[in-house]
Amino acid sequence: MDSTYKVEFVALLEKHQNIVHKVCRLYTNNYDAHNDLFQEITIQLWKAFPKFRGEAKFSTWMYRIGLNTAITLYRKSKRRIATQEFDAVEFRISAEEYDDTEEQQLKLLYQAVHQLNDIDKALVFLYLEEKNYTEISETLGITEVNARVKMNRVKTKLRNILNP
Amino acid sequence: MDELELLKGHWKQTENKHKAFSTKDLTNMLHKKSSSIVKTLFYISIAELAFWVILNFIPFVSPDYEAKIRSAFGSEAIYTTISVFTFGIVFLFIYLLYKSYKNISTTDSTKVLMQNILKTRKIVKYYVIYNLTAILLTIPFSLSFSIKSNPRLASSIEGFSNTQLLISILTVVAIVGVVLGFFWLFYKLLYGILLKQLNHNYKELKKLEV
Repeated sequence: MDSTYKVEFVALLEKHQNIVHKVCRLYTNNYDAHNDLFQEITIQLWKAFPKFRGEAKFSTWMYRIGLNTAITLYRKSKRRIATQEFDAVEFRISAEEYDDTEEQQLKLLYQAVHQLNDIDKALVFLYLEEKNYTEISETLGITEVNARVKMNRVKTKLRNILNP
Repeated sequence: MDELELLKGHWKQTENKHKAFSTKDLTNMLHKKSSSIVKTLFYISIAELAFWVILNFIPFVSPDYEAKIRSAFGSEAIYTTISVFTFGIVFLFIYLLYKSYKNISTTDSTKVLMQNILKTRKIVKYYVIYNLTAILLTIPFSLSFSIKSNPRLASSIEGFSNTQLLISILTVVAIVGVVLGFFWLFYKLLYGILLKQLNHNYKELKKLEV
């Protein structure tokens, strides 16, 4: 492969790597698994790069490939799903920023999101990333109405977890 | 306050928690091997295709064996027709598999991507079904040929009582059943494990449409 082409790809990836990290954060529970998934997404992005014509924004394109890899292509091993280190380490919030109740609530929310199935996680992720329902429905391949209905159900699910 | 809004606010603030990868790290990643299920599925389908192709073409490797098969068919025309048909089916499956793999793209929507992977898996499944059916259909034919071409076997079968005949038939049926069952179980297990997660997620996605 042409080296300029590779440099161009790596530069774009480096600039937007946070998107991939966020996907990994949502779909894995520990450092090793995070890195494994990150690597797989990178490989898939690189493989698809020749098809990237620049009509779509590179970041938009990354959301799609990132989620598709996490949901469909990536094989989770038992080792990867055995540990639950995420909430304590990754999402700890400093006491100065939030009061106890809010910290507790956030902890519970992150735990709840991690317990959602892969599809619901994708919906929540795109929502957190401020994607509109048209983009969400196009990424997942469902109708906009169904995306909205499902999102409301997920919201209710999360509310019930916080207020049992 | 909406729970998700609370989460959204925090989500933005916790960006960049993971150490950012350097240009060198990222470049190195490009040379690593993918472990995606599509790749595994591809290797499995190639292995399966190769297995059945070899099994189908063994007769052509040994001239003696081929001559025997030729005589078993009785007619040159039937033999040629069946050979052409067998080759044709193999090429058809190779073509369908190739086309199907080309269709798998991570840039499609999640649903389309899943559908394309499942479609590919189906093609392999049909190929296996075709081969198992072919084996099943060949058994009565090859049994009658062995009996005809072996006078000792023929005369001992003639001397069988009804019970003995029934037991022989049942034994053959049981052996065939076990062999075919074994193959079927093997495929079910293989694809079951490989595509468990995908099937589960596809069902979840389909549920949204109800």
